[in-house]
Amino acid sequence: MIQNDIFKALADPTRCAIFEKLAGGSMNATALREGLAISQPAMSQHLQVLRNARLVREERQGRFVNYEVDPDGLALIAGWLAKYRAYWPQRVDALQALLKDMDQ
Amino acid sequence: MTDSTVDGHTEDLVLDYELDAPPEKVWRAISNPVFRERWLPKAELVDAEPVSSTPGEEIRYRMRDDEPPFLESIVTFQVKPDTAGRTRLRIIHELADMTIKQRMPRAANSNRRCLMRAA
Repeated sequence: MIQNDIFKALADPTRCAIFEKLAGGSMNATALREGLAISQPAMSQHLQVLRNARLVREERQGRFVNYEVDPDGLALIAGWLAKYRAYWPQRVDALQALLKDMDQ
Repeated sequence: MTDSTVDGHTEDLVLDYELDAPPEKVWRAISNPVFRERWLPKAELVDAEPVSSTPGEEIRYRMRDDEPPFLESIVTFQVKPDTAGRTRLRIIHELADMTIKQRMPRAANSNRRCLMRAA
């Protein structure tokens, strides 16, 4: 399932950092590696995982390749929905506990 | 709810709950900051102040995901009495920065959480 892919992709701190960088604008792999202590092959692998999860896409311009957050954001939205679908029942449980407490 | 369509997507969560308490009490629990904090902490919100509020009926807060890319959303709580004097709570949660494209120019600032924002 794509949602599992998203969670797995962003569970890794390096990939999460890469994704955050790309959230600020498109970048090539060299610029992405700045400030991150990882090899070029490792970067390629991380980008592949992010692309498979449809969080990031590749954009070719001549012989240069830029990476950017997938503008459709379908994976992001699916992940967001899954998260909050599980989130609200927990919050409502807490609300119900509070309502009981408010009963003096 | 279908009005929140952006670029052809409709991405709302709509959840209904029956609560065993009168509507006035549920209203206090969701609108009073001290009570609200006990089940929906400020850390989950962009701002502890509601976006809008219709006393006794509906209140809306802006929320921000605590994980990258920190998607912002609006949650609406609607309070209605049921026939037995209890409360029907409807939660409508919609992404507020739906078009990821609009987010793109924003700087990748890793410290966007605003956890310490005062109420």
